[in-house]
Amino acid sequence: MASQADAHAATFSAAELEFLAEDELIEIVPNMRMDPLNLICGDFGPFRPQIATQVPVWLAVALKRRGKCTIRPPDWMSVEKLTQVLEAERDAEKFQPLPFHYVEISRLLFDHARDDIPDIYMVRSLIEDIKDVRFHKIGTGLEIISRERTYALRLKNLSAMEANIVRPFVTRALQTFYKLSSPDMIQDSDSVSNRQPQTANRGPRRQLKDR
Amino acid sequence: MANYYDIDDVLAEQEFLPVLFQQGAEGVGLFDSGDDANEVEAGAKVELPFCLARDLHVRGVVAIDVPPYFRKVSRTRKEIEADAAHVDLRSRCQYFYELGLKIAPLAGDKSIGPFLLVAFQTRYKEVLVKAHTAASAVASKHLTLLTNEEVKLCEAGQSSTAAFKKWRMGAPRLQKAPVLGRKRKPIE
Repeated sequence: MASQADAHAATFSAAELEFLAEDELIEIVPNMRMDPLNLICGDFGPFRPQIATQVPVWLAVALKRRGKCTIRPPDWMSVEKLTQVLEAERDAEKFQPLPFHYVEISRLLFDHARDDIPDIYMVRSLIEDIKDVRFHKIGTGLEIISRERTYALRLKNLSAMEANIVRPFVTRALQTFYKLSSPDMIQDSDSVSNRQPQTANRGPRRQLKDR
Repeated sequence: MANYYDIDDVLAEQEFLPVLFQQGAEGVGLFDSGDDANEVEAGAKVELPFCLARDLHVRGVVAIDVPPYFRKVSRTRKEIEADAAHVDLRSRCQYFYELGLKIAPLAGDKSIGPFLLVAFQTRYKEVLVKAHTAASAVASKHLTLLTNEEVKLCEAGQSSTAAFKKWRMGAPRLQKAPVLGRKRKPIE
């Protein structure tokens, strides 16, 4: 798919990421009766009124559109939990563990299940804040790679959408740094403190965020 | 060696370098447009594109001279030491980094490598900020200072950020293919 010149080929489009996110399971409360659905990805059902079941998000949204269920927001989407996560994000240097597709799922739910989420405005603004804080952390993390010789980057607990946004930038930046700091370019400079013996050509592994 | 199919590589090799002819060459008076005789004498200084200069250098016909913006004592170096982020590298050489990478092993000037690295490191920070904030007015002014590589970096960051924002504002999931938009002309 990728020729080197095409920057877009290496990333997912946002819509594709949303599509992938819809495979996550979510709880719904149906208000009708239906037999089990036997799909390739799994069996869901039987659906009985007022009995909660786990279905993928795409199915939940489809049912919700037809008015056949209400969606129960996932655990991490409560105001208390999100406030906790926000505090932790602001204090710690690491990224907090969040569901991998939290951005996409939250957007889907805001669009389709507005009435099912309590305090939706609070939740929405909290998620936005969390997103902004994380982005800022990514930015500061990316500045570090310009200071020392970095060959690979580890960003733990990054969510799918965030990774997708920085992906083209980071890969190109790392590539350029690698090209510019290859050993035959910097042969005589002894300011590079990470000199390894010529056989092992890798600098020390720097982890941006520790375990 | 080079990426044969990479257009940027091809364009980078087109950049001119001053070279010193070690031997005379006949039939190529085109390079030395000063005289009428159709030849270049030994000892003449001519500007050749890099691809040509490199091959002739390997054969010993010319000696490559470092272009003015890479030299140790040059205005470019001084400007970069002062404030790398706002130096207009594009007016000097659009393919600054690529060319520097190629010249360094040939020209025997070991300080080019670290110099490029330092320049890029400082400018990188600026590029990083501009790429993701995508304030278009400021960004376009800054873009004119960047070399080709940096522009691509910037665009990569900007395009993905813009795509994300568009999606967030509620981009439609199904998009009509542009081919279908055209009306059919009646066949006469």
